[in-house]
Amino acid sequence: MSNDEKSTSSSGRRDFLGLAIVGTATALGVTAAVPGISFLRPDSRRTIGTASAGKVHDFQVGTGRMVLLDDRPVLVIRLPEGGFRAFLAACTHLGCIVKYSQERNRIECPCHRGVYSIDGGNVSGPPPRPLEALKVEVESGEIIVRST
Amino acid sequence: MYIGGVILFLFATQIASGVLLLLHYQSSAEHAFESVTRIAGEYPYGDLVRGVHFWSGQLLVATLLFQLVLAMLRGTFTAPRELVWVSGVLITTVAAAFAFTGSVLPWTEDAYAQARVGSQMAGYVPVIGGTLLRLLRGGDEITSQTLQKVFGFHVAVLPASFTLLLVLHFYTIRSAPRVTVNVTDDEKIPLYPDFFVRMAAVIVGVLVLVISLATFVARPVGSAADATAASLASARPTWFLLPVHALLKSAPATLLGVDSARFIGGALTGLYLLVAALPFVDKRGSRVTSGITCGALVIAALLMIHALY
Repeated sequence: MSNDEKSTSSSGRRDFLGLAIVGTATALGVTAAVPGISFLRPDSRRTIGTASAGKVHDFQVGTGRMVLLDDRPVLVIRLPEGGFRAFLAACTHLGCIVKYSQERNRIECPCHRGVYSIDGGNVSGPPPRPLEALKVEVESGEIIVRST
Repeated sequence: MYIGGVILFLFATQIASGVLLLLHYQSSAEHAFESVTRIAGEYPYGDLVRGVHFWSGQLLVATLLFQLVLAMLRGTFTAPRELVWVSGVLITTVAAAFAFTGSVLPWTEDAYAQARVGSQMAGYVPVIGGTLLRLLRGGDEITSQTLQKVFGFHVAVLPASFTLLLVLHFYTIRSAPRVTVNVTDDEKIPLYPDFFVRMAAVIVGVLVLVISLATFVARPVGSAADATAASLASARPTWFLLPVHALLKSAPATLLGVDSARFIGGALTGLYLLVAALPFVDKRGSRVTSGITCGALVIAALLMIHALY
């Protein structure tokens, strides 16, 4: 009988110790995981910047040009009828970089054959949304693209 | 048995050739392409090491996928081998992640497009997508930070995960009862020397295949990534992602009111979870699973052909 008692109490102690070890390990794991994951996940930062797309007189009418604005590729187009347009060049489908097609006067995504109009509207193919338009200004002969 | 040995051998080849490449590779967006060009063109046997690393990796993914498909056709994933199956699916997932991150590291135009599309697709995984996307890119945009993340995953996170999963996999195989498919006592052979010799012959065969592919199939590095150049129309993902590429390209803008890419991302996540949980869904390894697997193989093959045109 005393033997029985011993084994129950020792198994109770074992259970408790086991639980304590698992509990402590879990707590330590969570404590380490929170800063670990936060460390890897950067904050979303949206800076409002500007980029130059060169001088107006160097920019041929009816052509497109690519510039980087806050790490983002931007497509600047000088329309055949004059005036400038600028769009974020990331396709709204899966982020490939779009291009301006001179002969068809439209914007195309080569990866999955998406087609946008010259105004950035999604015309055909998989893109679900229009391209995001950016502000273009001409300041003393220089083309400036501004993120909004 | 032989397949397990081949997988271990291919992984060992990956480590050996990978360490060699690691000693010359530079992981900044500015120097990555140049360092890969130098590995391929200047260093003695550089192109061979690069080829061996590439081809043994592709064969590793192919062998793992083959083994999964075989288990689905035979219905050998059921209890008490469910942990063997789940760890096998996870190992295959890690191998696929190896191949994908590896294809991004040279930072060529194709690699850059893959990084853009791949991370965007990761963003369409339900619930955790947004976090996953920013974690993989190291921010909202594809920058040098992204390449550094991809590099860290490829040379540290994935190898560690792969090793741990292999240990778990072989442990679960040992503790679960063997599935013997039509093996009579007459066909059993002693482990040593008979089995060892046969295994050695298989591995030499695989080695010859890897080295032949690395030597005779030309794999030009390509051109350097350029964030201010339009993506190439010829850009295609790694071969096992071609069916997904075909789906993404052929889909309309929206499916059932959801952006098609998001829809496909969600559907693929669901399909993946279903495959991973197969032993708990189909507890008997029924004919239905075999039938669906055959159908899926045919569809995947057709989509692959479609993706190439």
